[in-house]
Amino acid sequence: MRAPRTRRAGAGCACAVLVGVACGSSSTGLSPNAIALPADNVAEVSVDYGLAGIGYINGLFANVTVCVPGSTSECQTIDNVLVDTGSSGLVLLGSVLTLSLPALTDNKGAALAECSQLISGALWGPLRSADFSIANEKVSNLVVHVSEKATYPMPTSCTGTDLSDPNDLGANGILGVGTSLQDCGPPCSAAVGHGSENPGIYYACSSAATDGCQPTAVSLAQQVSNPVAFFSLDNNGTIIELPAIPEEGAPSVLGSLVFGIGTRANNGLEPATVIRVDLNGMFSTKYPTNGSASSAFIDSGSNAIYFLNSGTTHIPTCSSGLYPWISAFYCPTSTQNLTARILDYTGQGGLNVSFSVANALNLSEYNFAFDNLAGPGSAPTSGTAFPSSYFDWGLPFFFGRNVFTSIEGEATTGHAGPFVAF
Amino acid sequence: MQTIAIASTLLRKVLPTCTFLALLFGSSPASAALGGDASSIGTGQTHLLASARIERAATHSMHELHAATGTKVREYLGNDGKVFAVAWEGPFRPDLRQLLGAHYETYLQAAKGRVARGPVNIELPGLVVHMSGHQRAFYGRAYLVDRVPQGLSTDEIR
Repeated sequence: MRAPRTRRAGAGCACAVLVGVACGSSSTGLSPNAIALPADNVAEVSVDYGLAGIGYINGLFANVTVCVPGSTSECQTIDNVLVDTGSSGLVLLGSVLTLSLPALTDNKGAALAECSQLISGALWGPLRSADFSIANEKVSNLVVHVSEKATYPMPTSCTGTDLSDPNDLGANGILGVGTSLQDCGPPCSAAVGHGSENPGIYYACSSAATDGCQPTAVSLAQQVSNPVAFFSLDNNGTIIELPAIPEEGAPSVLGSLVFGIGTRANNGLEPATVIRVDLNGMFSTKYPTNGSASSAFIDSGSNAIYFLNSGTTHIPTCSSGLYPWISAFYCPTSTQNLTARILDYTGQGGLNVSFSVANALNLSEYNFAFDNLAGPGSAPTSGTAFPSSYFDWGLPFFFGRNVFTSIEGEATTGHAGPFVAF
Repeated sequence: MQTIAIASTLLRKVLPTCTFLALLFGSSPASAALGGDASSIGTGQTHLLASARIERAATHSMHELHAATGTKVREYLGNDGKVFAVAWEGPFRPDLRQLLGAHYETYLQAAKGRVARGPVNIELPGLVVHMSGHQRAFYGRAYLVDRVPQGLSTDEIR
């Protein structure tokens, strides 16, 4: 099932995985973090070019295997699945899935489907059941969201950019390993209708006609859920372990996605600092360290550290006629070494975290992993109205750190979930 | 900017028009769409129920609506009665087709081909759309550049 460990390895970084010592200089000044060796609860992950033709910058990818429930032969391993601590549940693009997986239905026999909300768009399609495995961890009859519009047309109420094409998503799917058990949770189990807390993102489909799918209530058991919570032993969370990389970046980086926290010798929590998060995975971050607090999250699915804006950071955003999309990033005249303060969701505890912001226009076009890529968040921070802007600790935060994500309601020695730790 | 408090009883006393009473007590809970006017209330969001707060300024008014899903939506109306900006925050994203109204397709076109990797910052000559967050925590705002009243900083739209 596993691809050869050297498949994606940049020559310079294979040593990091093999001997557990980061190679390259750390621009954050951290001591090298240990990267778990292959084991039953360790999956290889990579930050690299990604799908052919994409050239994904700071995408963290894994292979997952799905099988027709009960079968050991009707299986498919899917590569380039984005590992995302910002969501929960497995979404696979229908265009890459060759298996015929059984549909999930409600108690009237209507097929269930979902409009999955991502920050940049939506993924629409039916819910299906599969036996799932990654490393040597397995889940029988996992609910998988298959994103495709061929079985049922996308309802008009499913809004946002359609990301069901691999060229738009930039990946073959999303492995959501966030702090939540389900992608929605109790609100989606409430009866739909006027004044309901149910957001109506799950649908029952009685026909393939336009609007043949209507919002419906689904039990927690039928919701798209964090697969880690169903593992037999290592079910309370994950660790993402990526080595430090040079400030000029790296063409590809290998790391480990470790399952379980404190469940085996290779996934102990010490000496990480625990930051408690709310039920939506949020904590608090102050930048500068004595500044006002922003609601914050750690998100391996965000490809940069997105925070504040030019007005508040005094760092200009990039501008290029050749690459208009570059305005999503900061372009300081020289690399900025900054410090922010991370606090738990109640504003308690906390520690200072250093990070770097390089000029995104100066980053090497031959590299796809950068620990110093940052950009503006979407909201201003001045004033008193809602919300303060989000501080999005994206993938650059993960290089040179072992980042723990504990799942809500799951016990970890000495700590109740959900929390993040690093 | 004067803040009028949350209690619906108070709202009942101070609201000069029945527009938002319809929101509170009507059978078609809804919100207005970007670029629409107050009369487009009644054709909007399924989940928006209660008008929780209204702020009035010389140039505009801000109406905050709360959905039972936990998501809050703010609508900014100019003195011409037209919605020139919307903002939202909460565990579920509101229906963007209904919220952006006639500008929804413009947003889709501009967002097309963008690879999903982080916050959305679309800045067109007439329309700005910002979105950030992650699953279960969404934030966004959109405004019509030419309709923002003079003297109001766009930083105030949120």
